[in-house]
Amino acid sequence: MNKKAREKEFRRVMTRRSLLLGGMQLGIASFLGLRLYQLQVAQNSQYRRLSDRNQFDVKIVAPQRGRVFDRKMRLLAGNAESYQLRVTPLHAKDLPQVLDDLSTIIELKPREREEVIAAAVKNPSFRPIVVRGNLTQRELARLAVRSAYLPGVTFEKVLRRIYPQGALTGHVTGYVSPLTSRELDLNPALQQLPDLATGKIGVESALESQLRGKPGSERVEVNARGRPIRVLRDFEPSAGQDVRLALDIGVQLEAAEVLRRGRSQTVNLSLSEAQGAIAGNAELKSHIAAGDNLVLRDPKGNITPAESGALVVMDVRSGEIVSLVSAPMYDPNIFTEKLLTRDWRRLNDHPRTPLLNRVTTGMYAPGSTFKMVVALAALEAGIINERTSFFCKGDMELGNATFHCWQKLGHGTVNVLRALEQSCDVFFYEVALKTGIQRIKNMALRLGFGAETGIDIPGEKTGIIPSHDWKLATHGVAWTPGETVVASIGQGYVLATPIQLALMTARIANGQFAVEPSLLARSKTPEFAPLDIPDSALRIVRRGMKMVTHSGRGTARNYNLGAEFGGMAGKTGTVQVKRITTEQREAGIVKNIDRPWKERDHALFVGYAPVTDPRYAISVVVEHGGSGSSMAAPIARKILEKILRSDRGLV
Amino acid sequence: MITGQPITLWRRFLRFPWHLLLLSLALVTVGSLALYSASEGSWSPWAGRHAVRGGIGVVLVFILAFVDLRLLRKWSYFILLAAVGMLVALMVVDSGRFVSRWITIGGFTFQPSEPAKIAVVMALARYFDEQPPERMQSLLVYLPPLVLITLPFLLIIKQPDLGTALALLLGALSVLFAAGMPWRYIFMVIVLGLGSLPVLWMQLHAYQKERVMTFLNPSADALGAGYQITQSKIALGSGGLFGKGFLMGSQSQLNYLPEKQTDFVFTMIGEEFGLVGNLFILSVYLLLIGSILAISLRVGSRFAQLTCVGIAMMLFLYVFVNVAMVTGLLPVVGAPLPLISYGGTAMLTVFVGLGIVVSAVVHDRSEN
Repeated sequence: MNKKAREKEFRRVMTRRSLLLGGMQLGIASFLGLRLYQLQVAQNSQYRRLSDRNQFDVKIVAPQRGRVFDRKMRLLAGNAESYQLRVTPLHAKDLPQVLDDLSTIIELKPREREEVIAAAVKNPSFRPIVVRGNLTQRELARLAVRSAYLPGVTFEKVLRRIYPQGALTGHVTGYVSPLTSRELDLNPALQQLPDLATGKIGVESALESQLRGKPGSERVEVNARGRPIRVLRDFEPSAGQDVRLALDIGVQLEAAEVLRRGRSQTVNLSLSEAQGAIAGNAELKSHIAAGDNLVLRDPKGNITPAESGALVVMDVRSGEIVSLVSAPMYDPNIFTEKLLTRDWRRLNDHPRTPLLNRVTTGMYAPGSTFKMVVALAALEAGIINERTSFFCKGDMELGNATFHCWQKLGHGTVNVLRALEQSCDVFFYEVALKTGIQRIKNMALRLGFGAETGIDIPGEKTGIIPSHDWKLATHGVAWTPGETVVASIGQGYVLATPIQLALMTARIANGQFAVEPSLLARSKTPEFAPLDIPDSALRIVRRGMKMVTHSGRGTARNYNLGAEFGGMAGKTGTVQVKRITTEQREAGIVKNIDRPWKERDHALFVGYAPVTDPRYAISVVVEHGGSGSSMAAPIARKILEKILRSDRGLV
Repeated sequence: MITGQPITLWRRFLRFPWHLLLLSLALVTVGSLALYSASEGSWSPWAGRHAVRGGIGVVLVFILAFVDLRLLRKWSYFILLAAVGMLVALMVVDSGRFVSRWITIGGFTFQPSEPAKIAVVMALARYFDEQPPERMQSLLVYLPPLVLITLPFLLIIKQPDLGTALALLLGALSVLFAAGMPWRYIFMVIVLGLGSLPVLWMQLHAYQKERVMTFLNPSADALGAGYQITQSKIALGSGGLFGKGFLMGSQSQLNYLPEKQTDFVFTMIGEEFGLVGNLFILSVYLLLIGSILAISLRVGSRFAQLTCVGIAMMLFLYVFVNVAMVTGLLPVVGAPLPLISYGGTAMLTVFVGLGIVVSAVVHDRSEN
């Protein structure tokens, strides 16, 4: 009986315990119910909001970048549709596996693979990574069919910047390229637009705010595998403004061709002779590697690369730039997407620095083209007049130094007209000493030297117009009269850019207004500041410049523009890059063509046309091109003729 | 009623606890509908198979109903031995893979850890059934159960399957508790359990630790490891009182919700049917569990009683761990919602458990 009682007690304990367990379970279940109430009712609105955000990926939509046209509305910079292959690590889950699967569809180099994985580690997992930009039609077709089975893999249609004229307008348009980390630091909001390409140089950079446009936003309903289901546009992006440049592609093409060919003949690259020369010449090789296939045979029969230098043509009334060439050139298209190290190295290692825009940042001694500045300063100050003459015996002594004229035998008695015509150095030595460097500087500044011209290409160099103060400030010693003598023929400290030379010429030709350069086509001529140089002085200088090409003794007498186009006025310049020693002078100066290229003189020419009622000003610099008369002047003539012909509707 | 009369088939049929079958079939139906929604309105790949498995489960219950519980009692140690053997075999056979929980026999995959839970419960029930009441106060009595529990527990934790291992432990302890383990030993177990937590922590794999850490602070990495919890809470919370409607759960339909056909099926139901839907499901489970507990109070044999309590506890733990997990109260341990989640083993286990309970009722010798 005792046992039975114990059994009963035992059963009671178990019943109690079972009920206790059941009660506990009920309690815990109620607790779960409360938790559900908390999530689903109390915090419902909060989670509903999160859920909405989850469904829609808010994306900033990059605006379509404005296009750039030449003056006749031919495309210089446009946008082409291109497809990007992207992968979102969040949705891909097993990224290496997805990349493995992808590589069975398109060829993926190990390097590309590593870059994607590195990017996945660096960035938040919801940000898509571009696996491949600019997919070919073939890749696109294959991917379109098969990528649907790959989680996290998507395509995006993007607009890629293209420059249809390539290298021909590279120094004008500049280029856009993907955002740099510095840009992102300056403006973190750009992080939402990882595909945005911004102008880095040239017009693309100068007109960035006009060209870029305003981004829009859209909400993309995606599933967790990253597949877009629906797109809702909230704000339409507004495209950037199109811009029309004053540039004329026809002139530009001719200018690039004529400047780069110089006086030489082009060589057919397929000739074994040309191939042999390229193989044996490092400089030629780097030209070819950088995509330049213009190869020349110089008058001595040597095979050389194309000439390098600069050429600018400016409308003397409106300041519009009709042509702007800096040689060597480069193709801006290589920068728009990921720049290949190979391409970068080829441009960077090139001995003649193709990336340097010589028109705005190339600083050259202006040489004899600077003589107009000295003449105008002296005429304005009344130190000379039309009839004031000096005798040139071939050199001039100052203290115990001798300054030579380029004409060893001397020019005899010359006035300012003759001195400009024949580019007599001694005349300008004398005049400069009487005028003083400060007056020369004042005139130079008014003509556009020593300061940025304001052309729509950022990063312009100012050049140097020296003076007493400048010498003291930079060198800490006083200016000497000998330095005035050297400066009078545009050598020594004086440095100018080709755009400044063109600007000076345009202002002299214009005579009334201080024109300012513009790459943009101008619908009407703006109100420029008055030039404020006496008309009488300008007229004398312009006559001198006319004589350079028209008179039988002019330095460019062989290269006048036909009378049917109204003729051309100008000034040659031949700039020494290497000092000539006394011994060399006595032994007889070695001809340019017999010197190494690097030691040859720079050939310069500035000019305008037509002579009466001028329309266009031009400046030409051929680096180590020899003499301004025989090298630069014919180039200028050809280009001015081309422009005036096409203005008249002639071919 | 005439005592001593042999139990006829008809009487057994009359005794059959039809309500257990109805409740479980209701859950299977809910599961099929949820899986239909999980595959964006399609019977394949989950919903159709789930329903078929439910049908197989019912057949299994009927088969088990014919098996006398005493037979199971007799074989219970052997069954546990077989289960442990399978767990060991799993470690030997499939050691190449990182996570090895499944065993494949003739193309049929299942997780031996699930039947192991029931095997442990039955073995313990038999063990305590054999102990005279007066011995229940002795500490020595609890040493053999310790081995019975610890061996499969460690094998499962090594798989590694923390969720199942803990469910097995708690289910087994509930049997000890119901068997009348004195309170002083119960406290001892609690203290020992808490004390062994650091040791347990050291045993965990890095990803298991990460799960626990993520659970402690899910928003720290909303797109990484905490993604599942965060998304689950968003889906549940945005469901509201009545839900977004069948097939309308944007989180689930847009695939933001991970594992919506298995571990997070409750979340998906919550998003589409709201608090009302979730509470309905919880109520059905509570009714089912309560019914089993009620049976445990009614049946005569101690073995049957303890087995019923253990099975009820197992079922409860399934539900609790899953719901607590998807509501962010527990770390993501990978625990299905029985009868609703897609997956054969858990459903099979639950139907086997139900079959045993039915057998306990049908073959009960005691007369009220």
